[in-house]
Amino acid sequence: MALAAPGIIWLAVLFLVPFYTILAIAGGYVNPVFGYPVAVWNPLHWSSVNLSSAMRDVVGSSAFVGPIIVRTLAYVAAASLLSLLIAYPAAYFVARFAGRRKGLFLVLLIAPFWISYMMRMLAWIGLLQTDGYVNKALMSLHLISQPVNWLGGLGPTVVLGLVYGYIPYLILVLYAGLDRIDPALIEAGRDLGLGRMRTFVRVTLPLSRQPIMAGLLVTVLPMLGDYFTNQLLSGTTGTTMLGNVIDSQLTTPGLQGEGAVFSMLFLLALIVPMIYYVVATNRSSRDAA
Amino acid sequence: MLGGAGSLLEGCGSAHPGTAGPLMSNGIPLPRPNNPVTWQVFKDNPAIKSGLAPERGATLRIFNWVAYLNPQVMKDFGKKFNCKVELTTFQNMDVAMAKLRSGQLNFDIFFPTIDVMGQLVEGKMIQPLNHSYIPNITQAWPDFQNPFYDRKWHYTVPYTIYTTGISWRKDHVPEDPYKMANPWAMPWQAKYKGRVAILDDARESISLGLMKNGIFNLNTTNAAQINAAGQSLQNLAHLTNMHIDNNDYTEIPSGQIWIHHAWSGDIAAAPAYMPKGVPVDVVGYWFPTDGKGPVGNDLITILRTAPNPVLAHHFMNYLLDLPNVLTNISFNGYMQPLTEITPQRLVKEQLLPPSLMSTAVLPSYFRRGVMELQIPVTANAIWEQAWLQAKSA
Amino acid sequence: MTATAAPARTAQAGAVTRTGLGRLRPRHNPWRHPWFLETFTWLYLIWSIVPVAIAVLFSFNNGKSQSVWQGFSWRWYFADPVNSVLHDPALHAAVVQTVRLSVYATLIAVPLGTAFALGINRWRGYTASTFNFVMILSFVIPELIFGVAMFFVFTSLFTNVGLGTVAETLALVTWNVSWPAIIVQARLVTIGRQYEEAAADLGANQWQIIRRVLTPLLTPAIFASAVLVFSSVVDDFVLVDLLNSNVGNTPMSVYIYSQQRGGNGGPALNALGTIMLVMSLVIVTIGYIGYRWLTRGERGGRLDALTTIAGEG
Repeated sequence: MALAAPGIIWLAVLFLVPFYTILAIAGGYVNPVFGYPVAVWNPLHWSSVNLSSAMRDVVGSSAFVGPIIVRTLAYVAAASLLSLLIAYPAAYFVARFAGRRKGLFLVLLIAPFWISYMMRMLAWIGLLQTDGYVNKALMSLHLISQPVNWLGGLGPTVVLGLVYGYIPYLILVLYAGLDRIDPALIEAGRDLGLGRMRTFVRVTLPLSRQPIMAGLLVTVLPMLGDYFTNQLLSGTTGTTMLGNVIDSQLTTPGLQGEGAVFSMLFLLALIVPMIYYVVATNRSSRDAA
Repeated sequence: MLGGAGSLLEGCGSAHPGTAGPLMSNGIPLPRPNNPVTWQVFKDNPAIKSGLAPERGATLRIFNWVAYLNPQVMKDFGKKFNCKVELTTFQNMDVAMAKLRSGQLNFDIFFPTIDVMGQLVEGKMIQPLNHSYIPNITQAWPDFQNPFYDRKWHYTVPYTIYTTGISWRKDHVPEDPYKMANPWAMPWQAKYKGRVAILDDARESISLGLMKNGIFNLNTTNAAQINAAGQSLQNLAHLTNMHIDNNDYTEIPSGQIWIHHAWSGDIAAAPAYMPKGVPVDVVGYWFPTDGKGPVGNDLITILRTAPNPVLAHHFMNYLLDLPNVLTNISFNGYMQPLTEITPQRLVKEQLLPPSLMSTAVLPSYFRRGVMELQIPVTANAIWEQAWLQAKSA
Repeated sequence: MTATAAPARTAQAGAVTRTGLGRLRPRHNPWRHPWFLETFTWLYLIWSIVPVAIAVLFSFNNGKSQSVWQGFSWRWYFADPVNSVLHDPALHAAVVQTVRLSVYATLIAVPLGTAFALGINRWRGYTASTFNFVMILSFVIPELIFGVAMFFVFTSLFTNVGLGTVAETLALVTWNVSWPAIIVQARLVTIGRQYEEAAADLGANQWQIIRRVLTPLLTPAIFASAVLVFSSVVDDFVLVDLLNSNVGNTPMSVYIYSQQRGGNGGPALNALGTIMLVMSLVIVTIGYIGYRWLTRGERGGRLDALTTIAGEG
């Protein structure tokens, strides 16, 4: 159908070709005089130099990426879990119990979605300064006696930053999914004699599985590639994430090929959840038809 | 802010294996004080003709480090030459070079460090200068009219001169580096966890590791030495979880960092960033008294594709004129090698507090100091790899 | 079933008692209002919005501090002759570039995605479903990877384009074209085939159907996706960070990031962020009002409008 052609051509040129370009750079070499990467387009001429130096950095003689990968996974797991624990009750409340104030709650809930990420991070940087409001509040409540150096390279600061940054996406998906649950089903559970807790566990939770999965994917996948939250809220070596490594490699002469390899490996690692998301979206849109 | 100029010594030593004659890397000469280089002027990259009028209605585009050029100086130049002046900034030299190589850029002026001269010249990224537009060169130190890295100043004029040392907050850190056995090891103290920072620059920080380990050849190609320096930095990370940034000029005055590997000019500018009520003499700057520390100068160059080369030449000339230099120093703190600029003059003009005289750079430093100069690409890869590991420790 | 809404609380409680669950103390009333959840939600909303409100407030601070209020002033917006958004050329350029990128990207992505959705909807076959797959995939790929790919493409392959506004626009369109494609497709599915078939029965050809039947029906979805693309581009950071080349094509998000990292933070950045915020809110308000007007007479009210322009049709 002719209408789809422009879109298809666009995607082919600007989406598929770039990924081939990453492969070409990964299999390429470094200009010996100036140190910039040269792409090699013919797969038969690909060299494995970048791949082997990348492997060496992960598991070989100069392995240092291992702990970073573990740390990234730990941060993202902690941040997603925390986000879910915070987002679910709030979304649940607005979807089910907000009554006449639902509009107001919804606007407030979605507002951060439209407030730029940078602005939200700036806000926290201001609050977390040594002489900022967070320290002032904690000291006046006598929870701490000395101001804490929140921006001095603390893991929890980065995790909380990730939560703050990505939770609006999760809340939105959860809200939409929870809102779709037919109230009649819950009341059916009640009518059958189940108490609140058990209605929740037996009826609501299973029905929210799909929105939870979708919401987690939409949150976890971008979080894994995040590098700027760490840079803004910490800037120290103790909290570097995988995204920082790739970003550093891209801007370092001679290491861009390795950066390309890491990007491909990263993509491969995420292929399964990504495909799962695509298939699930396709299926649910077909079901709706 | 990396590089070294001046004369003499130290570890320019061994010629790169596999090259013949003067120090070379894949055909590009490596300037050293005892191996001066006269860059070739290529036929297809000639200088502009003399006697041309400055471009009209133009926008002069400058590519420089963050907070390194006084906006007032740019405004004044714009008024004098009836043009707009636009500044784009970068935070480290690697990123700047990557952008220059790969963008549809239209900058006129670029402020590189000495160690990328080879790439800039051989890659025909900068154009040779027409000296008739730059008479103010006579105000500069005579050495710079024939520096070892650019004989007959075909491509560059000097910008700032500086040293790299260690700055600390005397009110939080009781130790005095002037009394320490190995002052370069001052950052390696676990009790200052979270309060230590090093520069976000591969050459500078790995050099810190080298000097802590007693090696003063900052252009070494010896993988064992480089990796040992990288390892020292990783230990520093485990000990202190140090920050890596070039914000010494704000972080030491604000007290956020107590020990910062720093550039002299940044610390000389401390008075402008001190919070209210905190006297400037709590800030200290150490540079070895025997002069065996990194010393350097930055350069001003004109890009080959500059849309406004005549204006660019005039701008270079403008930055070699004493009153403009004084205005510039009042903003970024960095000395410039004009014969009229002496530490005494700076103190008199209230551009340098007496407690920070240690940040001043004297001509003699260039004869005793060690420089971070261009190294072969293969060696550079080892440095960068060590740095990447240190950054991610 | 007996399902009626909350007002029937006490009746229900009574009913349950009658079925023998024993005396029901107030605490165990399953229909009571969930105070805990409401408090929790309010706390979340406060935690979510108050920091930004404080940052906006301090953008009007008559001083450099982020925690000590020194009086109200428009200094950072236009009053300060050197450092305000109006007078500092870099800040100024950043605002202009953000608007420019948002407009360009929206103008290209929305028609492209809409056409794609219209075409794919009727076309079965491998090419169609493959590209549909790719379209949805572009939605979940981590932006850093896509940014890396774009960076290499414009520096090693399409070098005559190079880095800059064109590269940024192309990348942003590619990144955001999935919004209109998915939203319009979802709406097409909801509309169903009956209108097209009726028009075909009356003798209309393909183009007429699209122009006179489908497009008016799809206008709300197209409009909603335009709002989404616009605010998504205002907020975008990773792609433009990798693809910008000089201060003339650095949008607000990247400028704030590099200044903050460079230690040059301060209320001027807050002012910039507030401008971004106001821009997004204005667009969203226009979007909301427009969407409501376009869907007047249809089912679904304010809440559906809100969720649609947030991307959750």
